[in-house]
Amino acid sequence: MKNHIIKTENISKTYNPDTVPVHALKAVNLEFSKGEFTSIVGPSGSGKTTLLNMLGGLDKPTEGHVEVDGVKITGMKDSKLIEFRLQNIGFVFQHYNLIPVFTAKENVSFIMLLQKRSKKEMEHRAEELLNKVGLGDRMDARPKQMSGGQQQRVAVARALASEPKFILADEPTANLDTSSAMNLLDIMEKMNKEQGITFIFSTHDQRVIDRARRVITMVDGQVHTDEIHKESSSTITENDSQRIDTE
Amino acid sequence: MKTLFVIAWRNIWRNPGRSGVLLMAVVAGLWAGVVTVGTMNGMLNQRVDYLIDSEIAHAQIHNPEFLLERRPYDYIPEFDKLVEILESDQRVAGFAPRVLADGMLQSPVKTAGVRIRGIDITKETQTTSFHENLVDGQYLDSDIRNAVFVGQRLLESHKLRIGNRLVLTFEDVNGDLTSAAFTISGSFQSASSDYDESHVFVRVTDLLPLLSPDSEVYHEVAVRLHDIALSDEFVRDISAQITGVKAQTWNQISPELSTLVELGGVMLHIVTLIIMLALAFGILNTMLMAIFERLREIGMLLSIGMSRAKVFLLIMLESVVLTLTGAVTGIILALISIRRFAETGINFEMFADGIASLGWDHVVYPVLSTQEFAGIIVIVIVITMLSSLYPAIKAMRQNPLEVEK
Ligand SMILES: Nc1ncnc2c1ncn2[C@@H]1O[C@H](COP(=O)(O)OP(=O)(O)OP(=O)(O)O)[C@@H](O)[C@H]1O
Ligand SMILES: [Mg+2]
Repeated sequence: MKNHIIKTENISKTYNPDTVPVHALKAVNLEFSKGEFTSIVGPSGSGKTTLLNMLGGLDKPTEGHVEVDGVKITGMKDSKLIEFRLQNIGFVFQHYNLIPVFTAKENVSFIMLLQKRSKKEMEHRAEELLNKVGLGDRMDARPKQMSGGQQQRVAVARALASEPKFILADEPTANLDTSSAMNLLDIMEKMNKEQGITFIFSTHDQRVIDRARRVITMVDGQVHTDEIHKESSSTITENDSQRIDTE
Repeated sequence: MKTLFVIAWRNIWRNPGRSGVLLMAVVAGLWAGVVTVGTMNGMLNQRVDYLIDSEIAHAQIHNPEFLLERRPYDYIPEFDKLVEILESDQRVAGFAPRVLADGMLQSPVKTAGVRIRGIDITKETQTTSFHENLVDGQYLDSDIRNAVFVGQRLLESHKLRIGNRLVLTFEDVNGDLTSAAFTISGSFQSASSDYDESHVFVRVTDLLPLLSPDSEVYHEVAVRLHDIALSDEFVRDISAQITGVKAQTWNQISPELSTLVELGGVMLHIVTLIIMLALAFGILNTMLMAIFERLREIGMLLSIGMSRAKVFLLIMLESVVLTLTGAVTGIILALISIRRFAETGINFEMFADGIASLGWDHVVYPVLSTQEFAGIIVIVIVITMLSSLYPAIKAMRQNPLEVEK
């Protein structure tokens, strides 16, 4: 029964219902399974961000509800929901959104600190993850001292650090140049393949879309198409993984 | 908690200019406030000490009737027994019996009301330091018959000089008016020029034959103790031992003195409070700016799972750490200044005339007691907390979706 980790039940979202109503989502029914590598695409204003906010429990649907791993998060008390996000959901944002006064390693450790993990585990895991995203030599750099691509890789490491059930990323490559974007995708893909980490990300970028195994197209607040792509270009090669490690 | 502290501290220095300005304001505000308050406090204390030392002493004994009407025949009953008790009391460092009369002073220029104080110069010198106020001529220890020790101010207003004579008229114990000529032996200047113009001192040996030719009577006994703190207990014991007299402590005799002491404490807290309230707006403004700049970051923290309570705590910490850093620095600097001035004194000579007529010293030695100091700290902490509350609540209530803006 629980082969899906996220399920939306007829969710709709209407902004400004009392003044100028905007129907950003209209009765969306979707299920996501463990280990997915899914892209949400669609024209600007089609409701991608709104949908991701619902999946991540950052906003509430006007109608319908969202279940995460069998738990109904819609209607959950605010403080419980924050704790739920901490323990279950990883986020990567378009603007990286690292803590500017923290180093890369501190940024990755911080979320584990919120989870009250042991200091030893935090240290170990933060270093391991930063090595995995190819930033083993930038652990003590602050966000300002890193490129956008590097910052976004720290953000991915941070999202992974809390061992979430899935990671949501709203346009994670929008602010990156092509090579940084592809590099980030390589890392995400590798995590997905090797550790079964679930990624759901929105994007406008065709090269990013091409890497996804499932592509959901939104149009005007509704799911237009929902396709499974055959594994092709997304297969990770010997070459790719070396590129990640030496970056 | 330690990590929150680290973020808070680093956040403070993200905008060094803005935090620096607030920090300097807090340092300067508290330094100025505490030094001002210490100075006022010092002034008040000196005033109190001076009055106690030079005139009031630690306790006084009267016939209770005399305190109401100041009639010459309401003298202390059983004076000999009182002397015996005082002489055998270990707490007593010295006592001075006084004969008091309210009367008229006549000089060639004019007539004025005066309080005449007949004193036993040996005992008075052991009890009070009024003789140290001598500015010209000689104290009453001169050979002149019927010598009188007058205020410099009185001398000037009556256009008199040392060696001149004046006539004192007053009521004797039988209710009859009596007059006698006195020769000015010297002049004094106490801290209050009003006092100087309205009080004259004569020897009890000159005054008694005029006031009460048949018997030795005294209206007042001033007592100096080895420790001012013994005043209450001493007064209680005296009242229990002899009937018909009223013993009072210095603050009962001069309630305005204890009011002054209390006033000092109140002023201290009012000044601190006013300064801190002004600073509170600075704190509020700085912290609100800091938060509005960081809405996206706060949204991120809430998104990834930092509890609202922790966000609140973080902003509180930033605000409190910043303010208290300034406050502690300001207070330490103030204490250093006060300690320095406590040795050298602050000279207000340029305002000396104005201050003197009110009875104040012009060299002030600032002081601050541990209790007053603790009071300031409490005010600072409370106001800092209160003014940090609003920005912290504001931050805590942010929408996690701010992260996407
Ligand atoms: N807070 C809001 N208040 C009112 N309307 C909003 C709000 N957020 C989004 N909308 C509207 O809802 C619709 C869907 O917006 P959404 O941001 O989900 O689109 P999107 O697919 O993410 O677009 P983009 O590709 O530009 O990021 C749009 O019409 C948008 O204007
Ligand atoms: Mg969007």
